[in-house]
Amino acid sequence: MVRLYFRFLGLHLRALLEYQSDFWVMAAATVLIQVVNLVFLSAVFARIPTLRGWSFWAVVAMFALMAIAEGVGSFFFEGTWRLSESINQGSLDYALVRPYPVVLQVTSAEIGINGLTNIITGGAMLATALAHLDVRWSVGLVLLAVVLPVCAVMIKVSVNLATNSISFWLAGPSPLFAMAVHQVGELARYPLSIFPTALKATLGLVVPFAFITTFPLGFLLGTGSSPWLGLLTPLVAAYCVALALVAFSRGLRRYESAGN
Amino acid sequence: MALVEARQLTKVFRRPDKPPGLAGALRHLATRRYVEKVAVDHVDLSIEAGEAVAYVGPNGAGKSTTVKLLSGILQPTSGEVRIGGLVPQDDRMAVAHRIGVLFGQRTQLWWDLPVADSLAVLRDLYGVDEGTYRKRLKRFDEVLGLDDLMAVTGRKLSLGQRMRADLAAALVHGPEVVYLDEPTIGLDLSVKDRVREFFRELRDEGTTVMLTSHDLADIEGFCRRLVIIDEGRIVFDGDLEAVKDEFARDRILHVHTETRVDPDRVRAVLPGAVVAAGESPLWHSIRFDRFAITAGQAVAAVTGIAAVVDFRIDEPGIEDVIRRVYSGELRLAAETDAETDSEPDVEGSGEPDAVVTAP
Amino acid sequence: MRGYRALARISAKNALTYRLEFAFALFGVLFQFVALLAVWRVLLADSTTGTGFTWPQMRGYLLVAFASGAVVGLFADFRMSFRIRSGLVALDLIKPVRYQEARFAEVLGGVWIEVLVVLLVGGVTVLVAGAPTWPGGAELALFTASMVLLIPLKFLVVYLCGLASFWTQNYVGVQWARIAIVNLFSGALVPLAYLPGWLASVAAWSPFAGMTSTPGLILIGRATGAQAAFLVAVQLGWVVVLWFGAKLLWRTAVRQLTVNGG
Repeated sequence: MVRLYFRFLGLHLRALLEYQSDFWVMAAATVLIQVVNLVFLSAVFARIPTLRGWSFWAVVAMFALMAIAEGVGSFFFEGTWRLSESINQGSLDYALVRPYPVVLQVTSAEIGINGLTNIITGGAMLATALAHLDVRWSVGLVLLAVVLPVCAVMIKVSVNLATNSISFWLAGPSPLFAMAVHQVGELARYPLSIFPTALKATLGLVVPFAFITTFPLGFLLGTGSSPWLGLLTPLVAAYCVALALVAFSRGLRRYESAGN
Repeated sequence: MALVEARQLTKVFRRPDKPPGLAGALRHLATRRYVEKVAVDHVDLSIEAGEAVAYVGPNGAGKSTTVKLLSGILQPTSGEVRIGGLVPQDDRMAVAHRIGVLFGQRTQLWWDLPVADSLAVLRDLYGVDEGTYRKRLKRFDEVLGLDDLMAVTGRKLSLGQRMRADLAAALVHGPEVVYLDEPTIGLDLSVKDRVREFFRELRDEGTTVMLTSHDLADIEGFCRRLVIIDEGRIVFDGDLEAVKDEFARDRILHVHTETRVDPDRVRAVLPGAVVAAGESPLWHSIRFDRFAITAGQAVAAVTGIAAVVDFRIDEPGIEDVIRRVYSGELRLAAETDAETDSEPDVEGSGEPDAVVTAP
Repeated sequence: MRGYRALARISAKNALTYRLEFAFALFGVLFQFVALLAVWRVLLADSTTGTGFTWPQMRGYLLVAFASGAVVGLFADFRMSFRIRSGLVALDLIKPVRYQEARFAEVLGGVWIEVLVVLLVGGVTVLVAGAPTWPGGAELALFTASMVLLIPLKFLVVYLCGLASFWTQNYVGVQWARIAIVNLFSGALVPLAYLPGWLASVAAWSPFAGMTSTPGLILIGRATGAQAAFLVAVQLGWVVVLWFGAKLLWRTAVRQLTVNGG
């Protein structure tokens, strides 16, 4: 099943790479965005040592985690963003008669090349940041340093899927709601503690993007008011994945195959 | 139990009744009115293994919806579907291996991949072994001329090419049951012939086929059994030839005589025939029941009155019959079984539409 | 002139038809505004070096950055890029209107809705955080002039990027790159004074400074008198240069179209 998934992605990748110059434009753009982020952060931190207890490199690590999570979402699950279009045009029909999970057929329907550069630049930023940060590494912590980011990525990907699944109920041609929620990620790249209470609650509970950045990193670095919250990341991830899958399959039962 | 079974299958679509504009949208939020449309209405259908069934009906009659229910794409509002004993909506994976679906209006080929790649993906998806796959491709090539298309990208296929490639895509896993939904729509005649030939081969190999079409030429010479659906209900289910015998029993003799003929004299010699003026004063159209009067008798009767210069006989096809069902002129007895010979219930103006009435 | 007015009207109508898409497109800018407000509020509270902006100043400045991000929205450029990539631009070429002017008319048709959104968000900010201190008469006039110039300036930057569609199919990438560069060099993410010296002077002389820094600094009173007038003059200079530069580029680009065979 996994092998087939990568086969789907591979085919799209091959088709995409036929337009090489476009690939480089996209790659350059995503790298440029991260460079601008870094310039911005270093300008900000040139004035002050820490942002509510978070150092420059800690915030770089947060930006990196968000970039990786978004990158994985784009590179491996870009098809999620086409769901509303498929529902709107009734083009899910064939997916429903094939012997492969419908949700995986949907998520593998496209590949976002920007995801690749985001994963690479994000990974490089995270590695550099962790090297500069004062982490007292132990076997357990190393393990968690792998598990927590993986869970963080799962949260982003399943929130994408859950919000896009709303398209089964809201019949519009583009996933406006999902896009709006995605934009909330803009906020989640900063330490949660800088925001007013309402935004804290939103990012911690409603759209749990804080579990992509603030909480897992807070645990690894021992930063923030309650670092132990980071240990909840796997639970939140499991909750998000389950919610997304339930939303998708509930939605699929409502699929009306519009168009004749 | 039949291979495909539908019991009291019903699908109701609920559409929000939204007045236009922003104010309308707000009002909808407050009151939430819906319009219900029954697309498929308590349909019972069973198809035995190896049967070829034509499923016809006017636009919006519920043909495609039925196919989507039978293949598990849509959830029925009530009733159930079983394919080989399995419910396709619940046992999606198992059923998927046994059915093949083609929607003429929609492609399942990947837009930016060559046809060869699309088919290879489907091969892997269905777990078809290489030997079988090769054999099938070879056959598709023989009938559909597939080899020329293999290197072409999905987006660059013409409609006819696309349909040929899509047929291969729907059948690459050798399904037991095949639903073909408008498989010849928009094709030019030569491609249509090729595709129809392919259907016949499929049927002869013992594949169970359900074909929905607007084009009745797809059906004649292909299906034994005809199912007609109208407004979501099955209005006829029986033998195609029997329908033709039963409902296409009228013949129309168009006859050109040397001198003018008084229609009443013809009526006198041909009781039960409908005689009407033809395209010129010397032409007449005589409609008769071919079981009561033979064509020879009809021609002979006219010859007895005046010298016949020319004549031709029109035989209404199944197309005619179905058109008359759609227009409500002919009401076929519902729930007809092929075995029970129910009397046709012919209604209408009394003047068949094929006959031009004199002004 | 009538042709251009008709185009402006159509684009206003489109903006209303696609008002939801339109609103959601602004979400990204809005969230960036909120995030920056939160970051700078904390930063300025924690900052010990008293030389930087005050918190009310930064609020006003970021509001200008938000306005700059919101006006001349996504519609005109996506449509333009699509028409170029698909070759439909050939139909625009046979219309009796000049291409660049026609696109500008479309932008003007939709801009009033964006201005309304900016006023709304600004109003809410003022309600929550208190009114800003408005600059004096001359500076207020310069600020207004700078905000008005912002519209053709941003249009030209977007339009020039749109012309890139003659060379690449990947407009999203171009757009992202544009947003990143504009964010940095206009001072929308961080006031230019906070950047390293060399970068700050490059940015200050770039056309992008007019897209946030110039109006922003005048509004909060960090650029006054002759200096403010000079900044606006530079901004105006760039509008003129880019306007004619874009015309030159367009001529080259159209040749590209003929080469490709449309």
